[in-house]
Amino acid sequence: MIIQLIVTGISLGVVYGLIGMGMVLIFRAVGIVNFAQGDFLMLGAFICFAFNQKMGMPIWLSFAITAVLIGLSGIVFQYITYWPLRNAQDKAIIVSTLGASIALREMTKLVWGSTPQTIDPLKGGIVKIAGAFLQWQYVIIIIFAALLMSLVYFLLEKTLLGNIMQATAQDKYAASLMGIPIAVAIALTFFISMLITGAGGVMLAPIFFITNTMGVLAGVKAFAAVVIGGFGSVQGAIIGGLLIGLIEVFAGTYISTTYKDTVVFAVLIISLLVRPQGLFGEKIAEKA
Amino acid sequence: MGRINRKNLVLLFLGVLVLALLINLPNTSSIYMVRVLNMTMITYLAVLSLYVVFGMAGQSSFAQCGLMGIGAYITANVSTRWGYPPILGMAASMLGTALFAFIIGFALFRLRRFYFSFSTIALMTILNGIFANWTKGTGGPVGMGNLVQFSVGNFIFNTEAKYYYLILGFSIAASIIIWKLFRSPLGRSFMAVRDNETAASCMGVNILLTKNIAFAISGLLCGLAGSLFAFLSGYISATSFALPQSQLYLVVIMIGGSSSPIGALIGSILINLLPEWLRFLKDYMMLIYGVGIMGLMIVLPEGLVGGGKDLYAKLIKWKRSRADAEQGL
Repeated sequence: MIIQLIVTGISLGVVYGLIGMGMVLIFRAVGIVNFAQGDFLMLGAFICFAFNQKMGMPIWLSFAITAVLIGLSGIVFQYITYWPLRNAQDKAIIVSTLGASIALREMTKLVWGSTPQTIDPLKGGIVKIAGAFLQWQYVIIIIFAALLMSLVYFLLEKTLLGNIMQATAQDKYAASLMGIPIAVAIALTFFISMLITGAGGVMLAPIFFITNTMGVLAGVKAFAAVVIGGFGSVQGAIIGGLLIGLIEVFAGTYISTTYKDTVVFAVLIISLLVRPQGLFGEKIAEKA
Repeated sequence: MGRINRKNLVLLFLGVLVLALLINLPNTSSIYMVRVLNMTMITYLAVLSLYVVFGMAGQSSFAQCGLMGIGAYITANVSTRWGYPPILGMAASMLGTALFAFIIGFALFRLRRFYFSFSTIALMTILNGIFANWTKGTGGPVGMGNLVQFSVGNFIFNTEAKYYYLILGFSIAASIIIWKLFRSPLGRSFMAVRDNETAASCMGVNILLTKNIAFAISGLLCGLAGSLFAFLSGYISATSFALPQSQLYLVVIMIGGSSSPIGALIGSILINLLPEWLRFLKDYMMLIYGVGIMGLMIVLPEGLVGGGKDLYAKLIKWKRSRADAEQGL
């Protein structure tokens, strides 16, 4: 029982971590909070549904196509909501992403309807680990998300491309003096961010149903993960995501199913009060 | 009172004209349209509350709809479940919500800038969870129905038109109070906190208390809006008080322009009446609505009022340069 709970919690947690990582990448690159991140999770699930169920392609192929398409849609999203407003105040960009979130939800409803849908699991069946029976899907989620996270980490820390993106994130003006094409670096950041978020959606889809509002709560929980971990920290997003996933599952089992989300957000408020900068965040002095 | 010159006379005349139009409106509109106008004014009250905490004090709160929910549920409990007079329920809603905001503010305002916004998202989600699941106090997932009508003494507000005058009265009163607040020392200290916290505290403004008072005033307005909503619709459930609704209020105030209460008014009118005018679009309406918000932000990042001011300033400048050029000739 306890092993099943832990595995379920971790597999939910890594998906929250993936979305959170996507948010952190965007936040580090352009300094805004994307309120439409959760909706890209939903969009990813729907695109995969179109290839897998409507066209009958095998799940892995549809997953790969979805990953590329959702990344590209991230670039389009960036050119519509962020780029024209890059010199405006932050709150205008936040409202613009809120508008995008409404538009995305309505668009998917128009295209795919409002009945809950489902897709094939990445691997069906049940596996026995340490005396506990688990669905393969949960195990696959953990393995695959870990793979994706380490890939993004490797890309950011060890490659030239990662250096370009980090330089852009730290100081756009200095980066442009070094001959770095900022527009390309920002577009690439959005590509990767949306790709991992959409992948999270494809992995969650066989467990939950796909609806056009599935991204709302997942997005808010990813926020919680990012804030607990420390805003702007990639490791923080992952650890925060795992914490949120585990708290959600254990609170749902041992406290109350109906109040599990309430417990999650109560933990968020408590953690904000105890450690506002998050687990991995640095305390930045207020500038006068 | 201001001096009586031509500008003030024109404003007075316009004011009387608008008031006459507003008073006559229920006679010329269908019952449905009056309902829409009532909902518009309730939205306006909620957005006005956001104006106090966001536009004046600079704290973007995502919890306004949750506060409104607290107001609505207090009204429902006091007036319908316990059977006290409705006016007492409304007063309890306003005071209770303000008190709740004031107390929770001491915890949340320890956080700054967008950390505060995150904590209000969390607060909103917690409140929604409580509304949806606390069967004893809020009716749980079923909600609370058959709420009593608002009444003063023997006069019962039982038609849409009567509610229209009631809500209109409250809206005008709230607007005047907020306008007075805008000009008062307290309002100035809100804006000082918004513009620069360090400078404000150097001038002797108690930042935590000031933010708390702003949040409490916004709680008062939210309580009023929630209470009116409960009386008007006669049925409340957790789905009416959810995070997307709170986000919408932020969108409304940004579209209107967060620099003045007029922005709140224009934004609420636009967001409530536009769906009525665009009804022929049917399924595409919400899509166009979302795209429209994005487009409006791109064209007018300061909102409609800010954009209008910009345009006016440009016009004046253009006229002046024309006049200069003519003098030069």
